[in-house]
Amino acid sequence: MPEMFPKFTTSIKLKYVKLGYQYLVNHIVTFLFIPIMVAVSIKILKLGPEEILTIWNSVHFDLVQILCSSFLVIFIATVYFMSKPRSIYLVDYACYKPPSTCRVPFSTFMEHSRLNLKDNPKSVEFQMRILERSGLGEETSLPPEIHYIPPNPTMEAARNEAEIVIFSAIDSLMQKTRIKPKDIDILIVNCSLFSPTPSLSAMVVNKYKLRSNIKSFNLSGMGCSAGLISIDLARDVLQVHPNSSALIVSTEIITPNYYQGSERAMLVPNCLFRMGGAAILLSNKRGDRNRAKYKSVHVVRTHKGADDKAYKCVYQQEDPQGKVGINLSKDLMIIAGEALKSNITTIGPLVLPASEQLLFLFTLIGRKIFNPKWKPYIPDFKQAFEHFCIHAGGRAVIDELQRNLQLSADHVEASRMTLHRFGNTSSSSLWYELSYIEAKGRMKKGDRIWQIAFGSGFKCNSAIWKCNRRIKTPTDGPWQDCIDRYPVHIPEIVKL
Amino acid sequence: MMLSLKWMTFFIHTIDKLFKKTGISPSEVDVLVVNISMLAAVPSLSSRIIYHYKMREDIKVYNLTGMGCSASPIAINIVQNILKTQRNVQALVVTSESLSLGWYPGKDRSMILANCLFRSGGCAILLTNKVALKEKAMFKLKCLVRTHHGAKDESYGCCIQKEDDQGFVGVHLGKNLPKAATRAFVENLKEIAPKILPVRELLRFILLTLIRKMTQKSTKTGASARPVINFKTGVDHFCLHTGGKAVIDAVAQNLNLTEHDIEPARMTLHRFGNTSASSIWYVLAYMQAKKRLKRGDKVFMISFGAGFKCNSCLWEVMRDLNQDGNVWKEFINSYPPKTITNPFLEKYGWIQEEDPDTFCIPDDYVIP
Repeated sequence: MPEMFPKFTTSIKLKYVKLGYQYLVNHIVTFLFIPIMVAVSIKILKLGPEEILTIWNSVHFDLVQILCSSFLVIFIATVYFMSKPRSIYLVDYACYKPPSTCRVPFSTFMEHSRLNLKDNPKSVEFQMRILERSGLGEETSLPPEIHYIPPNPTMEAARNEAEIVIFSAIDSLMQKTRIKPKDIDILIVNCSLFSPTPSLSAMVVNKYKLRSNIKSFNLSGMGCSAGLISIDLARDVLQVHPNSSALIVSTEIITPNYYQGSERAMLVPNCLFRMGGAAILLSNKRGDRNRAKYKSVHVVRTHKGADDKAYKCVYQQEDPQGKVGINLSKDLMIIAGEALKSNITTIGPLVLPASEQLLFLFTLIGRKIFNPKWKPYIPDFKQAFEHFCIHAGGRAVIDELQRNLQLSADHVEASRMTLHRFGNTSSSSLWYELSYIEAKGRMKKGDRIWQIAFGSGFKCNSAIWKCNRRIKTPTDGPWQDCIDRYPVHIPEIVKL
Repeated sequence: MMLSLKWMTFFIHTIDKLFKKTGISPSEVDVLVVNISMLAAVPSLSSRIIYHYKMREDIKVYNLTGMGCSASPIAINIVQNILKTQRNVQALVVTSESLSLGWYPGKDRSMILANCLFRSGGCAILLTNKVALKEKAMFKLKCLVRTHHGAKDESYGCCIQKEDDQGFVGVHLGKNLPKAATRAFVENLKEIAPKILPVRELLRFILLTLIRKMTQKSTKTGASARPVINFKTGVDHFCLHTGGKAVIDAVAQNLNLTEHDIEPARMTLHRFGNTSASSIWYVLAYMQAKKRLKRGDKVFMISFGAGFKCNSCLWEVMRDLNQDGNVWKEFINSYPPKTITNPFLEKYGWIQEEDPDTFCIPDDYVIP
């Protein structure tokens, strides 16, 4: 008992010391400014009104001097405003809500698995184990073609899935933002594993009769982080074209990529990837400044492809029977952790408050000069962001990031609940998570959001947004009918 | 999938050559754009290139697919946008086509056509806005215009990848493809002409059109010939996408080009076939090998693609170019060939008269 008491008191003292330090460093300018102002005003008050008048009259101002200095001020102000990069706003976004007919509860998945893989009971066992620990719920969806036994993925079916997902998302986005198709200047579509000719972007242009001078781009093969890559591309193009809006569609088409063999490492994606898509509208128009939901602050991209292990950890290849599937290596978590470290090294100086940066600098210097055994200081990112959207790649990914960034269960709730309700929808999962936070009414004006996504290659990309206006709790959207049931407790293992 | 990896090795060879020619190391590349129409692999081809060359972590990389034969100007458009906002950037654009997975094994004739025309090929291009590299540069981009006719159903459906009745996947080339191409082409020209032609030519065209309109109104006797805008006043060389003999002929007729102008495109089609997005770069290499490109010349690139897109751009030649390290080096002297007739027609032409249903190999024929 007596031993516990000292620990308790020292930990309280440390907590308050840290709080005090943070407050001091972050508001240092105010702390310096106030005493100076007080001193100056005391001095002036001591002088008395007549003396102030005489000082004022003795200061001559020539007409030329006034003109020159005001010209200089105006010139500098103009140069400053013209050279600022354009602000990019996220007007609104919409996520695709699959119909309940496409639902795949555990029982359906296991029954289909048993029938499709009846010659490989060990592989069926393996799939069951993965599903039990996956963190997915009973309401995730697969496209209609995959519900057949055995699945028959034709190109026609893949195009159908693409049409359903993409067109629904864009329709609901257009309804929300009231934008006309002819007003869209830039179109970016990203879908990793399905790229027909003509591209999905051409399909969108055809359906909505977009303008003929539209700048369209179709990205593929870039994995689950492609959504943020599209945002980065849209930002670059919007910097060059004033007064424009960009439509981004992020999705993953499951139909042609359902693995039909029996190699274990390649069966994992079957258990995790589900149907989903999102459409996002970005703009740099002045008129959208007030109605936009979020403002884009930074996008930081890190590519670890130069390293052998990182490159091979998510690899599409043929199995010994010639069936194509995606091979996920066992080192995925370690590589994800390293990619994240590189990414936050770049992002840290951009977003962390001064107090955290100083602490990090001191520990870094200390480790280099004094004692290498000091533990590396992990900056407290909770100081810089209010909300975190971690790509719902799988339960292990979310656990790893929660541990690395020292986040609480509340911070990763959006990611876990999205994984439970929608599964791993690849590049669009970040938008389902953001939608969850809004549906729970937690988003306030001024809140900062950090979206992190990992992808094959190996890439780690981050996007930082700031909430631009008060957001009313939405009554439509993918969470509309189930938000009241969440959050749910997701057990470690679901017994099947 | 394995075939595509073997194809990668011949690709690495091309990029190696580029790095050696320019003296730039892979770690100096800031932007990488790869476009390949019919292959979507995980990790993307751009990741494969980064892996092979150990490029930097903060590289901006984009992997475009499905954009058809006109993907080159689109990739250049991405780089153009990035180069306008950031300084001292070096960008690598890699364009190619993968045929191994796109080979059509069925019987539908509109899809067999693609088998006959498309061939392997690729190109790597290095772009930059660094002032220090101005002396080394070959070309300068003047303007780029993109036109997308996907909104029209006939244009969208004329070149589409789909399954035939037996379930084989192939690229269907419709009969209305030339018409859709012409429409897109005309609209693209309308937009780019004011940007590249001298004012003199534009004024002349406007005047002639006005005069024709007025004379048509006053008399009503048969229409006089429509005034044609002369692109040769603003453009010295034409890089046409080698979509096929018909495409080259149609474009030549529309723009009033001579045999000399379209010789590079015809010879590229003869030697390399339709290499999809990279074909215009082979045409450019032919011009360079024939020593046609002199400082100050303007080169106009036109390409068509599925969707239906027509993209064009104008380059200005920065210095007199000769044929160092060119892909045409070994056989440029045999071009243009005296005849383009198939040299094997005499020996094997008899097979075209055979009836597929009753065909059998004749007894006296020795298979070589």
